[in-house]
Amino acid sequence: MTAHAAHAHAHPVKRYRGLMDWLTTVDHKKIGILYLIAGGLFFLVGGLEAILIRIQLIGPQKDFVGADTFNELLTMHGTTMIFLAAMPMLFALMNAVIPLQIGARDVAFPFLNSLGFWTFFFGGVLLNVSWFAGHVPDAGWTSYVPLAGPTYNSGHGVDYYVLGLQIAGIGTLLGGINFMATIINMRAPGMSFMRMPMFTWSIFITSMLIVFAFPVLTVGLVALMFDRLFQANFFETATGGSTVLWEHVFWVFGHPEVYILIMPAFGIISEVVSTFSRKRLFGYSSMVFALILIAFLGFMVWAHHMFTTGLGPVANGLFSIATMLIAVPTGVKIFNWLFTLWGGSIRFTTASLFGIGFIPTFTMGGVTGVMLAAAPADYQYHDTYFVVAHFHYVIVGGLINGIFAGLFYWWPKMFGRTLNETLGKWFFWTFYIGFHMTFFVQHFLGLIGMPRRVWTYLPNQGFDTMNLVSTIGAFLMGIGTIMLLINIVITSFKAKNAANDPWEDGRSLEWSIPSPPPEYNFKQIPLVRSADAWWKEKMEGKKEMTPSEPVGPIHMPSPSIKPLIMSIGLFIAGFGFMYDKLYLAIGGIGLTLLCMLLRSVYDDHGFHISEEEQEKGVQA
Amino acid sequence: MSAHELNGELPHEPEKATLEGRNKILGFWLFLGAETVLFGTLFSSYLALRHNIGDGPPASELFELPMTFAATMILLTSSLMSVFAVQALHQKKVKPLIGWLIATIVLGLGFLALEVVEFLNYIDEGHKMPTSAFSSSFYTLVGFHGAHVAFGVLWITLIILQLLKKGLTVVTAPKVYVSAIYWHFIDVVWVFIFTVVYLMGKVV
Amino acid sequence: MSSNHSTHEQTTRHRHEGPKKHIVAFVLSLVLTIIAFAAVASGEINTTFTYIILVGMALVQVFVQMAFWMHMKDRGHLFPIMGILFGVIVVFTMVIMAEYWVWW
Repeated sequence: MTAHAAHAHAHPVKRYRGLMDWLTTVDHKKIGILYLIAGGLFFLVGGLEAILIRIQLIGPQKDFVGADTFNELLTMHGTTMIFLAAMPMLFALMNAVIPLQIGARDVAFPFLNSLGFWTFFFGGVLLNVSWFAGHVPDAGWTSYVPLAGPTYNSGHGVDYYVLGLQIAGIGTLLGGINFMATIINMRAPGMSFMRMPMFTWSIFITSMLIVFAFPVLTVGLVALMFDRLFQANFFETATGGSTVLWEHVFWVFGHPEVYILIMPAFGIISEVVSTFSRKRLFGYSSMVFALILIAFLGFMVWAHHMFTTGLGPVANGLFSIATMLIAVPTGVKIFNWLFTLWGGSIRFTTASLFGIGFIPTFTMGGVTGVMLAAAPADYQYHDTYFVVAHFHYVIVGGLINGIFAGLFYWWPKMFGRTLNETLGKWFFWTFYIGFHMTFFVQHFLGLIGMPRRVWTYLPNQGFDTMNLVSTIGAFLMGIGTIMLLINIVITSFKAKNAANDPWEDGRSLEWSIPSPPPEYNFKQIPLVRSADAWWKEKMEGKKEMTPSEPVGPIHMPSPSIKPLIMSIGLFIAGFGFMYDKLYLAIGGIGLTLLCMLLRSVYDDHGFHISEEEQEKGVQA
Repeated sequence: MSAHELNGELPHEPEKATLEGRNKILGFWLFLGAETVLFGTLFSSYLALRHNIGDGPPASELFELPMTFAATMILLTSSLMSVFAVQALHQKKVKPLIGWLIATIVLGLGFLALEVVEFLNYIDEGHKMPTSAFSSSFYTLVGFHGAHVAFGVLWITLIILQLLKKGLTVVTAPKVYVSAIYWHFIDVVWVFIFTVVYLMGKVV
Repeated sequence: MSSNHSTHEQTTRHRHEGPKKHIVAFVLSLVLTIIAFAAVASGEINTTFTYIILVGMALVQVFVQMAFWMHMKDRGHLFPIMGILFGVIVVFTMVIMAEYWVWW
């Protein structure tokens, strides 16, 4: 190692400040913050769209927005929330926490990490530019053909959907590969797979789902794009295409996608529940096994979204049973959380409230899931508000609760400041009560026959009161979100004084280093001696982890502007494809390829942080 | 750890000597797992749509086996050249390594040339992208593969230039290794294309 | 890995000697390809059986190429094998989907 010291300053250290620092960063902690900001903004946009939808539905035969606008709102709400809000906020937590939890200095591919963020961001911007271009996607987040095909949707709306998601999808796929490689190759000495924190496990499995599910979406979007732009016939029935093929391709991707959303929440809840019960997680290995089983089954159940398509009784029966099977590993997880809480000395912090609130809410979503899995009954529920209630219970009640739990839990680690607990608890109760008001009644709206995705309804069908309640609930969720924003603003003015282990009961490695960590994370890579590595050291009275290496200069990757430029190139090319401007398409792709070429030809030597600089404490 | 720190001799299996190299190889394998699914989806769309030929010519009349056979042989040989390149890499012999890589891309270009001629023939026979669902899925599947070959040719060319300039180091070695894996993968995909698309298309 | 590093090094060095087994893999691929082409070109064999031959030949060939040329038989390839295998499982379900559950 000493041989490195001579080279520590062999290459000029290129470091940016201010805005340029954020545009060029390859540090996983900063990229996590970028994901959080961008995902948070899209979450607000998607939330606003939801509020507008609910205002339109507050009473019968309202004309707050027109039918066309309503279609656009519901399409953009779904697409934005899933691809541009929920996934990026998960990526924010992944980036902020995973390398710290496994005792690594960064992810396996810091450059690709940055590229992944910027492609997601520009994909999202491209999708939302549609509002200003006047052609908004309006075929639902599932974009079913022929409704989304060139015959019935001749404007550019669906083009924005196709290209925006295609570009954002590149970023997600890169992220999935990156985190799989990171977790496999870069765990600290002693951290075997069965000693990994549960959040790391859940992200490992999630990344696997991303790697194997996103290419299916890529092909589906390419096919739809070829149909729309180059007169191909994948989904054009008049020339031999098949609309059922789109449904299959979309859901072969789409079902793993919803598990990509919920699995990280499982991991977050496991961490939060165990920390705030001051107990180790009950049934660790069964938790891991359940995750793997859910992931595997997740690829085998896509056709339960298509029971009414007419696949026939054999296929419906198979997919029905496979779907119900998923309830078994999920039940294992629910009980393990309950047994972790059982007999623990529980602390009700905001994170813990969200974590504990998650359990019954998600269970309700799971139960309606089993109801929907019964194919004959699904003919009754299909395309009603029952389905809307079900997936909002699992996505908002599950995933969003999980994200909020994770944000309150890891906020001090990310920013060095603990969010205000009083405001946090107000936020929890407002949001939680608002959520149940909004969606609980929708189960019954669905059961008495209110169809989803329809812009209005007639009076005196028994829909009126429940819709009013639902809209009031939506406003409560909005107010709750505003409280969160106020909390963030207030907290950002407080002193940056969070302790290394601000909850005092932290169990995993991230709590053994400063909040926020220095840019190299660990001065010395720790030696992991058991599961809950940091807890074990604390129980033995140690103040820090046992190091596994001597102090020495630390090698860091150089920042780079290329990921940003590459993503701008794709953004430009997207418009080129859409508006038949060949020079823009070629120019944009050319710009991206040029950056790839430069990246390949000029080696990134990175730079070293010497021991003296470490003493000064280089902050992220 | 960059090449500069390993003064003197190249380590054994230089592509796996650094953590960066090992990460690159693992990450690339995961990428190939994703590519498997990508091509699998293209294959399944083709399988679902291949009988819907509309007004266009049927597969059994369209495809010419001799040409496909030639293309298959060229790509197979190219894959063998790429294996030899990796062997030269492990023996740390730069000149033979570059030689085998050049042989790889020359054969790759030959394959591409045949594919272009083939597509032009089909277009003459009225088998175009908008003709039918069969033609759309055919061009998308085979075209995606062709695009992968073209990208591979450009990529390996770039690696040859880097080998000429920088020599064989722990930075360039993983690139050679990974591009060889990529090239074999393209060959494997082609095995399925000629089986599922061309040969099965000929079976009436 | 470090305990028997030197012996491991020797065996791998030994393994990388000689192009012989790669040429065997090449000839095998060649033969399998020719069998497949011949089965179709002859036109004598019934359709179902031809399909079986074609898919069988392709699978064997791909297996050989992946094991030898892509080094998947070498040690340290657990995750590559798992990655490709899981991809193949997904593809398998999609092929069943395409063959049985797509119409219109």
